[in-house]
Amino acid sequence: MHKIMFVLLCLLSGCAAQHNNIKLANQLQQEPPEKILSILSETEPDQSDFAQYYLNLGYLQLLSGEFELSIDSLLKAKNEMLSLQATSISENVAAGTVNETFRRYSGYPTDRVMVHNMLALGYLFNNSIDDARVEMLQADVAMKKLAENDQLNGQLASTHLLSAIIYELLDERSNAFISYQLAEKILKERNISLPKGLKLGLLRMSDKMGNDTQYQYYSQQYPALSKQKQIKQKKHQVFGLYFDGVVSNKVQQSLAVPSFNGKQIVRVSMPTYASIQRRTQHNQINDDKQQINSEVVENVDKLVREDLDKEYPSILLLTTTRAISKYQLVKEAQDKDPILGLLANLATIFSEVADLRSWNMLPATIQFSYLETDADNIVVSTNHQGDSVVELAAPNQHVILSTGLSDKVFHYEQ
Amino acid sequence: MKKQSSFWLAIMASLILSACSTSVERLDAQQQIDLSGAWNDTDSQLVAREMIEDSLSRAWISKFVKSEGKDPAVIVGRVKNLSHEHINTNTFIANMERELINSGEVQFVASSANRQEIRDERADQDLNASEATRKEMGQEYGADFMMQGQINTIIDVDGSTQVRFYQVNLELISIKDNRKVWIGEKKIKKLVKNSKLRG
Repeated sequence: MHKIMFVLLCLLSGCAAQHNNIKLANQLQQEPPEKILSILSETEPDQSDFAQYYLNLGYLQLLSGEFELSIDSLLKAKNEMLSLQATSISENVAAGTVNETFRRYSGYPTDRVMVHNMLALGYLFNNSIDDARVEMLQADVAMKKLAENDQLNGQLASTHLLSAIIYELLDERSNAFISYQLAEKILKERNISLPKGLKLGLLRMSDKMGNDTQYQYYSQQYPALSKQKQIKQKKHQVFGLYFDGVVSNKVQQSLAVPSFNGKQIVRVSMPTYASIQRRTQHNQINDDKQQINSEVVENVDKLVREDLDKEYPSILLLTTTRAISKYQLVKEAQDKDPILGLLANLATIFSEVADLRSWNMLPATIQFSYLETDADNIVVSTNHQGDSVVELAAPNQHVILSTGLSDKVFHYEQ
Repeated sequence: MKKQSSFWLAIMASLILSACSTSVERLDAQQQIDLSGAWNDTDSQLVAREMIEDSLSRAWISKFVKSEGKDPAVIVGRVKNLSHEHINTNTFIANMERELINSGEVQFVASSANRQEIRDERADQDLNASEATRKEMGQEYGADFMMQGQINTIIDVDGSTQVRFYQVNLELISIKDNRKVWIGEKKIKKLVKNSKLRG
């Protein structure tokens, strides 16, 4: 009896944390990141949700401009996810007998690569471009590791694009060109149209490297852009990144049926994503003469669904194992005492919750725009947040990050 | 039966408590300990010592002493971290500076950040110190050579096994005419096997 109560209490606290997190992620669509950050900061993570908590916290800190704190949180999450790549027998036993929230959150492939993107941005806006470069190299290793079993598993075009930008800022032309090419390859495989800024990057880097063959190739592929590129180079290069919306939350799908002998209720729960029609918002960067719209380089909402789809076979196996072990437990309790059997059945029904944890505050899409300008000011506009004027001072390379969730615009220049 | 279960309960409790407690052990700073396979203090000390020993054993130093009639003055410049890890290159630079100074074969000049602080102090002395103790401007010892370099890595991963290859390149450049008088290279290769199971 005490054991059953203990398990129920543990489950209720875990369940509450899960629902609280989902509630906050939903709130983020309407309220500024700073407010959600202050609510989340007041809570303490469960040991099993450690990585998820710090991923969300670090991302909110990044959007709030607290770069050092963001780096600190995201490093905690990254190290936790790295340490959890080995399999835990005890956690798997708990997941196969009680529910999957007993497993420590080790991150999905997208999380494991995306954490490097967010860290790199944190370092960049904290004026530490060398550390941002380190993160991009680590992301490359992480992606190679994930691609071993599935070509597109954990492969993020946005990571390669961000690497290309960082290499270009460091004037590492060959590395920048390779990264632009890798981003192009992933986007083509995912059937996402190539952003104009990426095409220009391929032209620019192949030209700067003196790689005539590649430059000819891309000039034929994108003749209009090639001509545009040949016009005199402008004073400022602006790389615009835009985070649109919030990624979907998982929802629980449960099924409760009487057992074949009608003596107990068997309940199974699995996580899923509800199908939604999302309207993608874009931002604009303009300098009076040109207006550049951001274009999608990463559909994060689609990636997280793919991640879950890939997990389904193991989730299904654990759910089935759990249903059998719970059935046996209730049957044994019923054989001893019908009241105990009833309580055990209630405990197994309540304990059957799906694992809804994910990095659920990520943007729904990551978008990119590129602008060359002689203007000293540009205007960054989003539908929700209005216009922000960004001053382009003496340095000539700029990275600008804006989001549809806040009116903050982050600016790195060199 | 009750006594037996209490005994096991006590054993379990003590095991759990011992697992939770923090233990601290003092170690010799020279002791070689590898935990994650990442660049660590041992690598930093080892590479600095070996590379400085190599640089001081080469012909450039004797040629300089013969032609100039004095020990060369060296400054350590930037060591770029181009590796996959967040390496604090300051500790590596400090290790190299220590090896250079302790060798007794070269004069050593403070870094640009240190120099600026000292210049500020001299400027302050110019206003506030007595004439007898005041140190003049324009008396600095100019370096003859600057040591610069970079740390690179190549990581090869297969499942839970990694080969981490570090390559440290240093070069000594004559400040007078940009000649490279010494180029050193040190390689470290580590095989890191991570467990597939955890507790």
